[in-house]
Parts: sequence; structure tokens; C-alpha cells
Amino acid sequence: MDQADLDLRNATYRRFVALGRAPTAAEVAASSGRSEAEVRAAWWRLHAAHALVLDDAGEIRMANPFSAGPTPFRVDAAGRSWFANCGWDAFGIGAALHVDSVIHTECADCRTPIEITVRGGRPADASLVFHVLVPAASWWNDIGFT
Amino acid sequence: MLVFRSEAHVNDWLAERPAGATIPIRKLAELAAAWWGDRLAPDWRPRNREQGQAILDHLGLSGPFWSLG
Repeated sequence: MDQADLDLRNATYRRFVALGRAPTAAEVAASSGRSEAEVRAAWWRLHAAHALVLDDAGEIRMANPFSAGPTPFRVDAAGRSWFANCGWDAFGIGAALHVDSVIHTECADCRTPIEITVRGGRPADASLVFHVLVPAASWWNDIGFT
Repeated sequence: MLVFRSEAHVNDWLAERPAGATIPIRKLAELAAAWWGDRLAPDWRPRNREQGQAILDHLGLSGPFWSLG
């Protein structure tokens, strides 16, 4: 991953944070001084390097911990709201922004709504647990399932 | 990677599935801080396998299940 791709990756993340949603290639092109074709080519290289995840159409699917589409993990932080890809990523949004957050999710078993307030990186409710089904070595085999 | 109300709910959900690993939510918060804390830093660089493994090891997440391969 060369510096140009790192810069493009950082520009993509900045737009994701600023917009509160996944940016389009045109939006990243406008903010980075590149052409849309250059942005899309760089995105595919970043996708191959696991620096972000594209869908089949080449649009942003995940800029971990942020999710482009709705998920059962909604996170309020810094006056905005994002979707996270999973429980781990839900905590990652506040961690990446270095702010407190509130995670809105549900128990994966009984579907009871769960609201987790995270202050100073510490969840208020310590009774909850987190389960990882896929062994670490296989996380990227199917990142959507993981 | 899912959140549950308790370990009993994990076990109900798993049913016949092979279990993975269950950790307390506060351990997950520590892991997220270590894993994602630099994600928006201007000098962010991709993490290699050894660096990722060191984060897991530091939090006591070790053994074959937590091996990044």
C-alpha cells in the first residue's frame, strides 16, 4: 500500500465520518483532487489489502468499524449516528472517534433490545457478553459473516 | 460477532453450533479500544499479523482460537 493509496484511504474515512454515511467515489474524488476512476481503482487495491471492504458493484460496504448499510448495531457518538458491522465494531466507533457512545443493539438469542452506554471506553452494563463464532485465522474468509 | 444478555443466552443461541469464544463486554471494550483506536489517525498504517496478535495477546486472548494464523 503506497502513500497515495493511504492518503485516499484516509480521505475516504474522513468523508465517512463527516457525512455520517459511506461516501460515493465522486464525493471522495471531489475532496481529494483525484478522478472518480482513480478513486475506484485505489478502492479496489485497498479492498484487496483489507483496508476497506467493497460490495460487488465497487461501492463502500465497510470502512471498519463503520458499516455503509443498516445493521443490528447502531451507534450514537459525537452528535451523529452510524451503523457498525458487528458488536466489536460497535465499540470501535467510539474508540476510533475517541468519544463516548451509546450502542443500540439486541440480544442475538432472544432479540431483547439492548442499549449500552460507553463512557471513557467502559460500558456501563458489565453483565453483557460477546461471542465470536469464527476463529481469528478465518475472520477474513467471509468478513460479512464474521 | 454478537452481543448477548448473558452466557446462558449464548448457550441457547449456539444450540448445536460449535462454540467459538465468549468474552465479557468490558473485555470487548478494551479490545475495541486497542484495535480501532488508531483507525482515524492521519498516520494510520496497516497492521501486520504480528502487531494484531500482540494486541490480542496483551488482553489475554491467546490460544488456537485467537491465533491470526
